[in-house]
Amino acid sequence: MTHPTPALTADLCLKCNICTAACPVAAVTDLFPGPKAVGPQAQRFRHPRLPSPDASVAWCSGCGTCTRVCPHGVAIAEINIQAKARLTEEHRPPLRDHVISRPEWLGFAGSLAAPIVNPILRIGAARWALEKVLRIDRHAPMPPFARRTLRARMSQRCVSSPPAEASNVVAYYHGCSTNYYEPELGEKAIAVLERLGCSVILPPQRCCGLPLQSNGFFPAARRQASTNIRLLHPYARAGIPIVGTSTSCTLALKHDYRTILGVGGEAADAVAQGTFDIFEFLATRLEAALDHVDFAPVEATALYHPPCQLKSHFMGTPALRVLRRIPGLKIVLSQSECCGIAGTYGLKHEKFAVAQAVGQGLFRQTAESGADYVLSDSETCRWWIEQHAGHTVVHPIELLARSMRLA
Amino acid sequence: MPALSTQLLVIGGGATGLGIAWDACLRGIKVVLVEQSDVGQGTSGRYHGLLHSGGRYVLSDPPSATDCARENEVLRRLAPTTIENTGGLFVAAPADPADFPDRWVAACQQTGVAAEEVNLAAVLRREPLLNPSLARAFQVRDASLDSFDLLHLLCTSIRAHGGQVWLRHKVNRLLMQAGAVVGAEVVNLASGESTHVGAHLVVNAAGPWAKTVAALAGVDLPIALGRGTMVAMASRLVNTVVNRCKPPSDGDILVPIGTVSILGTTDEHVESPDDLTIAAWEVDLLLAEAEVLVPGIAAHRALRAWSGIRPLYRPAPAAGAETRELPRAHTILDHGVTHGIPGLVSVIGGKLTTFRLMAEQVMQVVAPRLGVAAPCRTADTPLEPTGRPYHRLPHRLGHLEHPHDPPAPQVICECELVTRPDLEVALGAIEAPDLDDLRRDLRLGMGPCQAAFCGYRAAGITLRTLDAPPMDGGLAAFLQERWRGLRPLAWGHTLRQLEFSRRIAAELLGLTDAPEAP
Amino acid sequence: MNDLVVVGEGLTGLFAAWLAAKRGARTTLIAYGRGGLELSSGCLHLASGASPRLGITSSRLPHPYALVGVGTVFRAIQALFDLLEASSLPYSGSLDTNLLLPTAAGETIAAAFAPHSLARSDLAEHGPMTIAGLTGFRDFDAALASRRLADRLERSIATVDLPLPGPAPRRDLYATDLARRFEDPHWREETCRAWKPQLIGVRKLGLPAVLGLRRHAVVLQAIEEALELTVFEIPTLPPCVPGLRLETVLREACLAAGVDVLEGAKAVGRVDGRGSSARASGVVAMAAGGPQLHDAGAVLLATGDLLHGGLVAQQNGLIRESVFDLPVVHNANRATWTSPHAADPQPYASFGVRVDASMHPLDDRGEPLLPNLYAAGGLLAGARRTDEGSRQGVALSTAWRAVEAALP
Repeated sequence: MTHPTPALTADLCLKCNICTAACPVAAVTDLFPGPKAVGPQAQRFRHPRLPSPDASVAWCSGCGTCTRVCPHGVAIAEINIQAKARLTEEHRPPLRDHVISRPEWLGFAGSLAAPIVNPILRIGAARWALEKVLRIDRHAPMPPFARRTLRARMSQRCVSSPPAEASNVVAYYHGCSTNYYEPELGEKAIAVLERLGCSVILPPQRCCGLPLQSNGFFPAARRQASTNIRLLHPYARAGIPIVGTSTSCTLALKHDYRTILGVGGEAADAVAQGTFDIFEFLATRLEAALDHVDFAPVEATALYHPPCQLKSHFMGTPALRVLRRIPGLKIVLSQSECCGIAGTYGLKHEKFAVAQAVGQGLFRQTAESGADYVLSDSETCRWWIEQHAGHTVVHPIELLARSMRLA
Repeated sequence: MPALSTQLLVIGGGATGLGIAWDACLRGIKVVLVEQSDVGQGTSGRYHGLLHSGGRYVLSDPPSATDCARENEVLRRLAPTTIENTGGLFVAAPADPADFPDRWVAACQQTGVAAEEVNLAAVLRREPLLNPSLARAFQVRDASLDSFDLLHLLCTSIRAHGGQVWLRHKVNRLLMQAGAVVGAEVVNLASGESTHVGAHLVVNAAGPWAKTVAALAGVDLPIALGRGTMVAMASRLVNTVVNRCKPPSDGDILVPIGTVSILGTTDEHVESPDDLTIAAWEVDLLLAEAEVLVPGIAAHRALRAWSGIRPLYRPAPAAGAETRELPRAHTILDHGVTHGIPGLVSVIGGKLTTFRLMAEQVMQVVAPRLGVAAPCRTADTPLEPTGRPYHRLPHRLGHLEHPHDPPAPQVICECELVTRPDLEVALGAIEAPDLDDLRRDLRLGMGPCQAAFCGYRAAGITLRTLDAPPMDGGLAAFLQERWRGLRPLAWGHTLRQLEFSRRIAAELLGLTDAPEAP
Repeated sequence: MNDLVVVGEGLTGLFAAWLAAKRGARTTLIAYGRGGLELSSGCLHLASGASPRLGITSSRLPHPYALVGVGTVFRAIQALFDLLEASSLPYSGSLDTNLLLPTAAGETIAAAFAPHSLARSDLAEHGPMTIAGLTGFRDFDAALASRRLADRLERSIATVDLPLPGPAPRRDLYATDLARRFEDPHWREETCRAWKPQLIGVRKLGLPAVLGLRRHAVVLQAIEEALELTVFEIPTLPPCVPGLRLETVLREACLAAGVDVLEGAKAVGRVDGRGSSARASGVVAMAAGGPQLHDAGAVLLATGDLLHGGLVAQQNGLIRESVFDLPVVHNANRATWTSPHAADPQPYASFGVRVDASMHPLDDRGEPLLPNLYAAGGLLAGARRTDEGSRQGVALSTAWRAVEAALP
């Protein structure tokens, strides 16, 4: 599979402004000229051997809406992400960016020291200090670390190589968030898969590297990419699906490694084609198994916000196809393209107000909907919406698990 | 009829004519220059933007090569802001004659053209889109030069030194007295008014129209017209000028200039200086040849096609002349000597890179005739203050991002980053401008969308600013002009762009009548 | 398993998917990018001339109108109308006359139906009117909008430049930016307060179409009440807000009706069987990780014309249909595709896929290629939608017919 270099797709721009009209950041701030302007338009003025002339591309949140809505084939978000990476190379990024790009280290240290760290993070003064020193906004969501990671809880499922008998085996790519912050989510996801006849293993894996990429640390991101491809390829080659519950991690494996980081090759292709979001997997591979499930009714309304990173999978919203099976459940869709956090964007003090403005519509819709459940497939979206809308937000798999009497 | 007299009347506002007028000004000669259109509408504004290293001529025309090499360095001193120091490459493709490069290198040495063989791996790292199977590569002192900028600079400098430049003034007839040319009757095409301009000497630097002008004095000039088509690709596929290292032929050059890269060029004999039509085969040929340099080039957006006419002196008529084989060196004819008609000097041919030298050589004939002994000072008189840097690709975007007085100005043409203040200044500086004049001055409408947005925006500003503008601000005529250059490339993505523009014009703006004839 | 897969998210695709879902079909809409409504004034152009109805009924084959008949056009429009009314985006107009509407360049266009806010321009009414530009907004110029119009209507049209409150924005604003600002009641109030003194004596005011996106009806009413005059809108350069309003209503209606909307994926058709037993089995969509199969009982191509990639025009003179590689009516001589004048009818506009009265794409013998494959909208041959003023009429009526035929 060939992926044209994003910068070369700038040629395809007709300047139609479909992307500008859809961009959630341009909609709320005049600091951002819009995806067309900082993407294909500015690209014509960027010279490979001269310093970047423009800094306003840094306001792009990387949500990917622009690429998704462009009918002419311009990889706008990818152009922007690469332009931002060049800026990172040219200017020394703050320590903060190094810190928030490495959730694996943070998670590892944090969960070890969870009894001490968690209470501190709840202290306003500590958050104020963090903002002053590291410029992580004091109101940015920082969920507590789990004392026991998913891998620790599920050590019997941790493997170092694919099993000889591969049928019905599913490799769970949990990512940093599930391992270090939300291990219960992982447990429920595994329970659902097993109820549907799968045998779930936890392959060796590293942080997907997406935060490194978003913050412009491409060499480090490429190292993560190469490592993950090396670790996961044996499973893909054995025909074992790699299933994830974090839509941003799975997008990195499917798309970003090859297209943005340029880490390609047969192994990368195999991993990409063998990676699934969990609802994608349920909707495309486990339909027959789902047909045999007796779903308990859930007489409730759920407001579902598909994360922008999910939409960038270009597979629609498979969660809806599966949740439809739950009797009594009424689903209302979010009207917002993006909740605002966009990975690590909303954590940054200088970006916080913009990120909050991006999500304002969604927070209002959440408050006004009176929904019993608020659902979103991405961890950062859940934490962010919860913080601002004051309503618990869960991964839709949790609702499914409940209806399957597993939670 | 109003009349005025001057020492030197120059007919033609291309690089040649302006160069001559500039040289004359610096010698203290009173000059009037008349140009039938806007600056840059003739051949000088229709070329591929190459500041020659001379490499293209070392075997076919060695004196030209030497002149180019020298004048290249001179122009870098005189007008650096019009030049981007891209450097150049001569590359031999696998199928090119294997013995040519060595002969070429030897000829470079003999003619004083700097050429150095370079490592192919380094070339491909620098220019990743180039053909990975190239056989050899050589570095030369090519650069890209914005001719519109240069011509404007010349105009400004001439006027600043007391010379006169009359645009949109056409010569109706040459004034004769006792068998000599003593001036011209010139008509202002905008107002219809004619003026008698009496001059001690008239220089015919009318480019493709030189034959027409000379005929006004009864002189039959044997001029062959070679039409060359060029295609601009919508982005900088390369950042270095790339030439094929083989005997010169069609489509063997790729020039990065401004925000585009230009593929050039063909050579077709034509009869009329106004024949600028473009045939489908020319476009196909340019893309096919460019494919050798940049494999897969057809997948990139072709922005626009246009053509320019090369006037070449052809002393002995030949049927169906192959105009490419004619020497490109310029020819200066003092008609007092050649035809017994004093008072008229014609200059034909030449290339933009050597315009200054050509002008100096013309003035070597002209100045004595005017009784002026002052030497040529053009080689040492910069067209703008020294110390200004070369043009750099990112500069328009850099200015916008870091404006001198925030907030940044309104952007009218987003593709080429032309601002409202730019437009307002130009509207004040150009006489009776239309949107196409503004385009030449500012690059308005020269980007991917080909004026789909900025045409409307600029038309509104024009409507408010000018005294007697057309009711639509000139929008329909401008869009029609942009359409002309898109048509030869109307397939694939360029056809999408064309349809996009048309849909806005017709369905959103309601522009469905044919525009008033330009 | 989908009952219907619709490919394309323009007016045709969105309308068809909505109709199908309302009829209870399990529907997936797959689109590689959004469609042309962002370029559209939101009006429904059926046929230019004195009477749209006459224009439609006098169409001859192979024009799509001749295939579907005026009754279908009427039913399709009625269905859309009902949706628009219910979504607070009312339209006016009739099948029997064209409304004359002003454009941002001072010309007029004719449309059978237009959003209320545009139709209120009511050029037939002879009272005085003022057209306003907004300071700093470059995509609408009051001088351009009024000069030629005044000349054409033979009456004077006043112009005014109205300020926008707050500090100067740090970048140029698009129509969508302004539309969102107008949805903020505080900003709106401040704006109207600043405008009132400049509008003394004005009864009818033409503004660029920036009066809200989702809450347009509320914004329009609020502005009129605050300024105490009649307001009408004139569409601006893209992103064109009235077109986007229509698109938003349709997309949300699709989602509410249960359509699975999948954006960003290029689709390639899949055919099962051969010869007379061949059927479209669905489409393969290129998702981020790789190809994904979407099974379908029927497939409807609403992929548009050359502009949005339903048809691809190659350098060698061939024009291809991009999903099933269907035969395309066209001229293989590239040089003949365009006219020398931009404003003239363009030959390429009529290229497309030939269909029968059930919207089945046809082979060279005039037989349907596949029993469960349909095509509608700009993809079809035989219509020159810009020149005829039939863009939305063809889109809606052929979408209606295709859904009727695809879902028994």
